[in-house]
Amino acid sequence: MPIKAENIKYIYSEGTPFRTLALDNVNIKIDQGEFVGIIGHTGSGKSTLIQLFNGLESATEGRVEVDGILVGEDKKKLKLIRQTVGLVFQYPEYQLFEETVAKDVAFGPLNLDLSQEEIDVRVKEALELVGFNYNKIKDASPFELSGGQKRRVAIAGVLAMKPNYLILDEPTAGLDPAGRNEIFHQIKKLHERSNVTVILVSHSMEDIAKLVDRVIVLYKGKVHMQGTPKEIYSEADELERIGLGIPQIASIVRELRNRGFNIKQGILTIEEAKEEILKEVKRRNV
Amino acid sequence: MNEYIIKIDNVKFKYEKNSDYAVKGVSLNIKEGEFTAIIGHNGSGKSTLAKLINSILLPSEGRIFVKGMDTSDDTKLWNIRQTAGMVFQNPDNQLVATIVEEDIAFGPENLGIEPEEIRKRVDDSLNTVGMYEFRKRPPHLLSGGQKQRIAIAGILALNSDCIILDEPTAMLDPSGRKEVMETLKKLNAEGKTILLITHYMDEAVQADRVIVMDKGNIKLDGTPKEVFRNIDEIKKYGLDVPQVTELTQELIKEGLNLPSDIIEVKELVDILCQ
Repeated sequence: MPIKAENIKYIYSEGTPFRTLALDNVNIKIDQGEFVGIIGHTGSGKSTLIQLFNGLESATEGRVEVDGILVGEDKKKLKLIRQTVGLVFQYPEYQLFEETVAKDVAFGPLNLDLSQEEIDVRVKEALELVGFNYNKIKDASPFELSGGQKRRVAIAGVLAMKPNYLILDEPTAGLDPAGRNEIFHQIKKLHERSNVTVILVSHSMEDIAKLVDRVIVLYKGKVHMQGTPKEIYSEADELERIGLGIPQIASIVRELRNRGFNIKQGILTIEEAKEEILKEVKRRNV
Repeated sequence: MNEYIIKIDNVKFKYEKNSDYAVKGVSLNIKEGEFTAIIGHNGSGKSTLAKLINSILLPSEGRIFVKGMDTSDDTKLWNIRQTAGMVFQNPDNQLVATIVEEDIAFGPENLGIEPEEIRKRVDDSLNTVGMYEFRKRPPHLLSGGQKQRIAIAGILALNSDCIILDEPTAMLDPSGRKEVMETLKKLNAEGKTILLITHYMDEAVQADRVIVMDKGNIKLDGTPKEVFRNIDEIKKYGLDVPQVTELTQELIKEGLNLPSDIIEVKELVDILCQ
C-alpha cells in the first residue's frame, strides 16, 4: 500500500506578517518498495512534507494517507503511523544517548510491548541491515564510533521499529566522501534486501542521481517536476533556475552537446560518459 | 607587514593526556591574501587545526603565530580572534541577536567601538555580503546561505584580515553553497585571507591552494591542479576528486591524449571540442 498526499496545503505563521504557504496543492503517491528522492532549495517545503508523512505535522488542507490510514483522523493511530513511517532526521547522531550500541537501537522497540527475545532479534537484524557485524558492534559505546558509523547506528534505531517507509533527511550532511559512500552503499543494499520504501531528501545531486528510481522536485511549495533521474537531470537549465544544480557529469554532457559534440542526453555516470565520449572521438577521427 | 599571516611551526595537539595526537607535527605558512582550502576525512585533524589557529585550543607542542601574535599568549587572545574570525558549520548556532543588524553589531559593540563607527561597519559589512536589504529581518527567517553570509558579515564588522570557515556549506542547498562561495571569492579579491575547510571538492578547486590532511598530518599541499591529479592517493585518504578529473583520467587510460590535471568542466570541454 502507498503513501498518498492529496491536495495538500500547509500554511505557517498564519495571521502574522510572516505567513508562509509552505506547501501548495501538493499531490504525491509513493508506492511500497520504491526508492524516491526529494530535492528542492532550502524552504521549498521538503521538510514540511516529510513531517506530514508521519504525522509530526498536520496539513492545513488536504489529506495524507499511509497504508490506508488517514493521518490525523484518529489520534490513537498516530503511534502506528510513526512506526510505519520511520523518519531519520538531520544529524541523527545527536540523538544517540545510550551506553552501548545495542541498547541505543533497542530503545524504540522497548516502548512497543515486545518480548525481550523479539527485541534482541530486531536489534540484531537492524544493525546487520546497516552493515554492522552485530557481535563486534553491540557492546561498543556509540560515542566512540566514526561519524558515518554513528549515523548508521541511528538509522538502525529507526529500522528496529520495522517501518514500511524509511525517510532520510540529508543523511550525509557533514560527512566526508568516504562516510557519504559508506552510508549510501548501505542504504542501497538495505533497499535491495528488504522491502522497505526509501525516501531520500538530499541536496547532493550526485547522490540522488546515483541512487533513486524516481525524483520529486519541489519548488516554492509545489511539485515542480517528477521523473527518473535521467529525465530530471536532462532539464539542467530549469534545475539551475530554481536554485538546484546538476551532477558534474551531467554538466559536462550539457556543455559538450552545446558545443556540437554528438553525445546523448541523460548520462549520469562516469562510465557511461567515458563510453559516449570515446565513440564520438572515434567518429571524428575516421 | 608580515608576509605570512598564519605561521604554524611543528604543532602537535591532543585532546586528552592519554589520547592520540589529533594533530601530529604540522608546519604550515599561509600568506596574506591567499585562498586556501583544507580537505580531509572526518577526524583528520582539520577542524582541530582551525581551532588552534583561532586560539580556541592551544598547541600541546609547537607554536602558532597569527600576524606575529603567539596564540599561547593570552594577553593577545582577543586580538587574535579579531584578526582571524571563524565561521562554523551550523548557521543557527552562531547568530545571537533577533535582528540581522544587531547580530552584526554584537562583535564591534563588545570591542567598545563608537556607535557611529559601528553603524558604518554594520552597513559596510552587510553591503559586502549582499545582505543590506535584509538588515531589519529576524535571522531565523533567512535561508541557510543567507544566514552564513550574515555570520561572515559579523566577522567583517570586526575588520578581520583572515576568515576561517569550518564546513560553512555542509547544511546548505546548491544555491546557498554558491552564494557563500561567491561571497568568499569576492572577499578574497578584496584582499582577505580565506581558510576554507570543506568536504566538497568542487569548492576546493576554486581555491589558490589545497591542503590535504590525513590522520593529523599534511599529506599534500599545492595548487588544485597539483593536488587533484593524485586520484589514487586522494581516494586512499577517504576523499574524492571532481568527477571531471576522474573522467579525464579514465579517458587517458583509454588512449586519449589529454592533460592529466584537468579540474574544471570547461577545460575538458574545450579540449574535446577543439
